[in-house]
Amino acid sequence: MSETKTGGTLTSYLSFRLGEEMFSADVSKVLEILEMRPITKVPRSPSYMRGVINLRGSVLPVLDTRIKFGMAATEDTVDTCIVVLNVIMEGEPLTLGALVDSVEEVLELTEADIEAPPTIGSKFNPEYMHGMVKMDDSFIMVLNVDKVFSTDELVMVAETTEKALPESAEAQVK
Amino acid sequence: MEQFKKKFLEEANDLINSLEDSLLILEEKPSEKMIIEEVFRVMHSLKGGSSMFGFDKMDAFTHELETVYDLIRNDSLQVSREVLDATLAAVDHLKVLLENGEELSPAEQKNHQLLLSRIHHIISKGESEQNDAGKPNKASELPDNTDSVGITRVYEQVPTYYITVRPHPEIFRNGTNPILLVDELHTLGHCKAYLKKSALPKFDDLDPELCHLAWEVFLATDKTIDDIKDVFIFVEDVCTVIIQKIADVNMLSKSLFVSAIDTFMQSEQATDMKNLEEFIAKTLNSDSSKEDDTIAIRADEAGPIKRLTISNIRVSSDKLDDLMNLVSELVTTQASLSLFAENQNNPELMSIAENIEKISRQLRDNTFEICLIPIETIIIRFKRLVRDLSNELNKEIQFVAEGTETELDKSIIDGLSEPLMHIFRNAIDHGIESADDRLARGKPRQGKIVLKSYYSGTNVYIQIKDDGKGIDVEKIRQKAIARGFISADANLSYKELLNLVFLPGFSTAAKITEVSGRGVGLDVVVKKISDIRGDVEIESQLGVGTTITIKLPLTLSIIDGLLVKIDKTHFVLPLASVDKCFELPLEKIRNAFNNKVVLDGKQVPLVNLRNEFDIHENTPKVQQIIQVNHDEVKVGLSVDIVLGEYQAVLKPLGRMFKDLEIVSGATILGDGTIALVLDPARIINTFDRETLNRREKLYRDLGSNKQQLVTLKELIQ
Repeated sequence: MSETKTGGTLTSYLSFRLGEEMFSADVSKVLEILEMRPITKVPRSPSYMRGVINLRGSVLPVLDTRIKFGMAATEDTVDTCIVVLNVIMEGEPLTLGALVDSVEEVLELTEADIEAPPTIGSKFNPEYMHGMVKMDDSFIMVLNVDKVFSTDELVMVAETTEKALPESAEAQVK
Repeated sequence: MEQFKKKFLEEANDLINSLEDSLLILEEKPSEKMIIEEVFRVMHSLKGGSSMFGFDKMDAFTHELETVYDLIRNDSLQVSREVLDATLAAVDHLKVLLENGEELSPAEQKNHQLLLSRIHHIISKGESEQNDAGKPNKASELPDNTDSVGITRVYEQVPTYYITVRPHPEIFRNGTNPILLVDELHTLGHCKAYLKKSALPKFDDLDPELCHLAWEVFLATDKTIDDIKDVFIFVEDVCTVIIQKIADVNMLSKSLFVSAIDTFMQSEQATDMKNLEEFIAKTLNSDSSKEDDTIAIRADEAGPIKRLTISNIRVSSDKLDDLMNLVSELVTTQASLSLFAENQNNPELMSIAENIEKISRQLRDNTFEICLIPIETIIIRFKRLVRDLSNELNKEIQFVAEGTETELDKSIIDGLSEPLMHIFRNAIDHGIESADDRLARGKPRQGKIVLKSYYSGTNVYIQIKDDGKGIDVEKIRQKAIARGFISADANLSYKELLNLVFLPGFSTAAKITEVSGRGVGLDVVVKKISDIRGDVEIESQLGVGTTITIKLPLTLSIIDGLLVKIDKTHFVLPLASVDKCFELPLEKIRNAFNNKVVLDGKQVPLVNLRNEFDIHENTPKVQQIIQVNHDEVKVGLSVDIVLGEYQAVLKPLGRMFKDLEIVSGATILGDGTIALVLDPARIINTFDRETLNRREKLYRDLGSNKQQLVTLKELIQ
């Protein structure tokens, strides 16, 4: 990768797509990427919980990230992947899978490349964003993985985004 | 060395635990000789171990304690409250010493000094008494010189033993100094030891790392042969010890005998037992009839003692966890082998797969048993808690434990001690009244807390019962109203009111004490118990007492289950709760009146799992009904297909699903897919509750005045 102009240390981020939106997560949080496979649905669990899969003998919960982020559910495609993440939940590490529409690429960014998330007019709660990166006229949200996937706050993301959804539709038109 | 040290720490912990236990028994029966001996023995082992591994402080400390119990042993000191209090405090301090090694914080150091002075005080008291009473006869009985201070009693009428100590050449390898063993023999009674160096090679051939010496010891003691053997307990396999009783009286007090053996031993010839015996007989004027009580402790001999020692082995719990994991993996792999064999249609392979299934089942059961430990292991600390707290609160409480041999999985026991501690604190602080109050109410002065554990079906029950003042439900009601849990005009049954104490933030103690009632109440107990998949029930009668019953599963890791399927999802139902399977056409289920179907001529409530789990695709025309049994309640569960028996290795679903009650875990099937393990008891409870709620909602919608009930149900949830 190219030497940084700003001189900060490079951090790698995995970028992935949900609908039209691009997101990215710190690769140190990503354990592996799995192809889509049958997921056992767990009855009476929240709608954003897609179910569980067998990951080499242990049970891995899989979240439907679209629903969690307040987007409409879609059919799985060949590009649909399970990103296995290691998050810190209530101070303890937890491994979980997040369904994404497709995995894109690994970005090398310095802290200076990441702009602060906008506090108003954003469809995503800034609390869950590490920031955003401008890439070819579009923005990539850098997620604060630990926060986004912590249980207590799961629903709040959905709530904020749901409310924000109509606005975002307008924003996209521009 | 590190590894021996670790082993010592483990052993020392066990020793301290058993010491605590013995002390508490001693408190009840202060004159029980056996218990005093036991306490002394444990302290002695602690002392030996700590000095061997360089715990100097602990060594010095236990030495003092040992002195106290030595005095008690010799009747120079009575077991008193003072002694016991000091010893128990000392035991606590020993735990600190063990944990922190030799480095103590200033506060601990102070405590150390304080305890030491307390113990010294006791010792000086005992010793002065001993000097008053013990001097004259001690002097008359001690025949001569050779013996050191260690000697306590020598009588004429104690048997004499002839002991050959022949250490194996390699005894130094594990750090044993055989001289110490001989020294220890000296502490047992009147003793005379002769060194045998006939095996000593010429200086040029001498290997300094090998032991070439042996001892022959004459010991007159009132100890049993077993006590003498105990001296050698740690060196059994590196030392040949032969103990023979040569006379029923103290031969060492007969100067003729002593001078004879002196010359005899100096002659350096191998001691001939026959000669010796003849000689003794002569000395005693042929008045003693001898018993030949010869016992050899030898490693390569499968003697009775050896068998006794290997009946138990110490295994670290990590190894057990590993074993359990391996067995779980084996069971999972076996499931895929069985599946593969079935698809191959090869009879030979089938029979192999069946054999493996059988063996792995046995292996699983055996491993389970290994991981079970009796509930007794956590009882000691409650005994201690009751003792200490009742002193602190000036109450008199007797603690009785029944069924302590009941065994539970190690992981459950681990999760149990905290909630039990909580319940005990509650019972002691809020339950049992002070002695005066009790007398005024016509109860015996001493309160009583009973812990009872027993098996029932696939569950273990633990009951904690006190005969204290019981719970005043009227108080609970007022408090619940004040806290806004229920409305002022709510009409609750007795049991419903009692159950309110399990709500978070509910504590009935009028004043907050050190012991309990810091706002964390029984809700914590309920939570902790449900973490290990248990249930808590409370019963109470005002003025008579309170009983809390904890119901626990036998094990948490592998269960025998029935594999069923709904649409594409596999489920496992624990076989223990399955009664029977039936088949019903879909129509009958859909048209079931009031959710009841007739099975075996009886009306049984039906839970349509398809509806409850919100699965609506591919409903087959015929449904299978599994009749499950929980607490004498029979319920039918409808599923699509029954696949058969299955050994399910339970894996946790993880924290993402921690609120999901009806699924107790997941298991991995032979083909790698996941099946969910259902908990019938919770399914019944949950759906029962929901049906009730629905019905009540209906009433409410109809304008009926059942509203209060609904609020309660919501509250109890």
